[in-house]
Amino acid sequence: MSGLRQHTAIVLLALVAGTLLRAAEPDMVCVSNGVFRPLFRSLTDAKEISVKSFLLDVEPVTNAKFLEFVRANPRWQRSQVKQIFADEKYLLHWAGDLELGTNALPEQPVVWVSWFAAKAFAQWQGKRLPTLAEWEFAAAASPTQPDGTKDAAFQREILRWYSATKPEVMPVVGKGAKNFWGARDLHGLIWEWISDFNSATVSGDARGDTGLDRQLFCGAGAVGAKDVENFPAFMRYGFRSSLKAAYTVHNLGFRCAKDL
Amino acid sequence: MKSPLILLLLAVAVSSCSTQKTAQVLPPCCRPLAAAANYTDKSLFQLESVWTSDANRKVKLGVLRGRPQIVAMFFASCQFTCPLTVSDMQRIEAALPENLRTNTGFLLISFDSERDTPAALKVYRAKRELSNQNWTLLRGEPDDVRELAALLGVIYKRDANGDFAHSNVITLLNAEGEIVFQQPGLNLPADEIISKLKTLSSP
Repeated sequence: MSGLRQHTAIVLLALVAGTLLRAAEPDMVCVSNGVFRPLFRSLTDAKEISVKSFLLDVEPVTNAKFLEFVRANPRWQRSQVKQIFADEKYLLHWAGDLELGTNALPEQPVVWVSWFAAKAFAQWQGKRLPTLAEWEFAAAASPTQPDGTKDAAFQREILRWYSATKPEVMPVVGKGAKNFWGARDLHGLIWEWISDFNSATVSGDARGDTGLDRQLFCGAGAVGAKDVENFPAFMRYGFRSSLKAAYTVHNLGFRCAKDL
Repeated sequence: MKSPLILLLLAVAVSSCSTQKTAQVLPPCCRPLAAAANYTDKSLFQLESVWTSDANRKVKLGVLRGRPQIVAMFFASCQFTCPLTVSDMQRIEAALPENLRTNTGFLLISFDSERDTPAALKVYRAKRELSNQNWTLLRGEPDDVRELAALLGVIYKRDANGDFAHSNVITLLNAEGEIVFQQPGLNLPADEIISKLKTLSSP
């Protein structure tokens, strides 16, 4: 019995130590085990999706970092990129292939990037894009709690951003408050690509009228949704469902994640 | 493996007395891997991802270069729409004039990286009587499936039972792997995609 207990303790210690060591990835924070409750579900979808602990970039990827990437990977430079992987506005605001210029400050989040480009950047760093469940789980945290969905002040703050006029000049990264996990700027700066953005909507669904296909339409969709007050989440779902992988958008960037 | 091929050859022999090129068109499994360097900007064949066929052969999509492909994503255990999509593709195949049929590929790519092993795909091929000559069945890693779906504009999601909800679209690629036509929906008439195919083969 005591042997078993000792064994368990050692295993636990090893797990904790391992987690701490691996969490030492610079500029990433560890988001711990949790549960993501999807805003929309079909009849066969799980009510809860468990999110295993993972690492998430503290901040969105900046122009400066993306410049390093295209320097090392010429096929992702503006003049080289293949049409199927990025539309014609890719890195529109940069001065040139390897030049940021005055419209793209090094510390601003990179935008005008396609899903393919974001994915390639992540791979280049030995990382990946976060999944929808991971991103939403991490972004639900307020500055003080892992689940900020019931924190009225936090929700008001997010709503304020969603309804505010966008500043003329994109702010730089890292100015937002750290959330419970230590990540910044999940709200308030840009929209972010996720790995499974193309799972967020189904119109003309395989199963016809199973509930999945009324999920994204204003009004009707809200009836079937878990949390009708979560307006920002509706907006994110709506936005993602309008995207295609080669699209680039003036306020759409990304950050990376990594397995523990 | 052998009998469908023999049946097919018989069918070809019976149905057509004209000289056909069947013998020269190697099935996808046996063609040399095309050179990777010079695909067009819009070609899906640029993808670096490696796929496994039901014959357990590792291929890149570039192996399909050379004839137009009619493409759909599916999963073998699908009870709902995938069988209909495959039927739609078979109807297209049956309705093609002989010279086009031997010069058109049919490609099925699975969403289900876990359950659709090469062996499972092989069973599916036999069950649906998909000829080795024309049909390619592939499975890939989840990330690569996600990427290809993004390129084809296919939306899908795995549900709690391990099944997939997905949009239905049949895509026509030209011989260079560029998307030239997409037909969303089910139980659709074959005419439109066939007329597109005809324009491809006679530029």
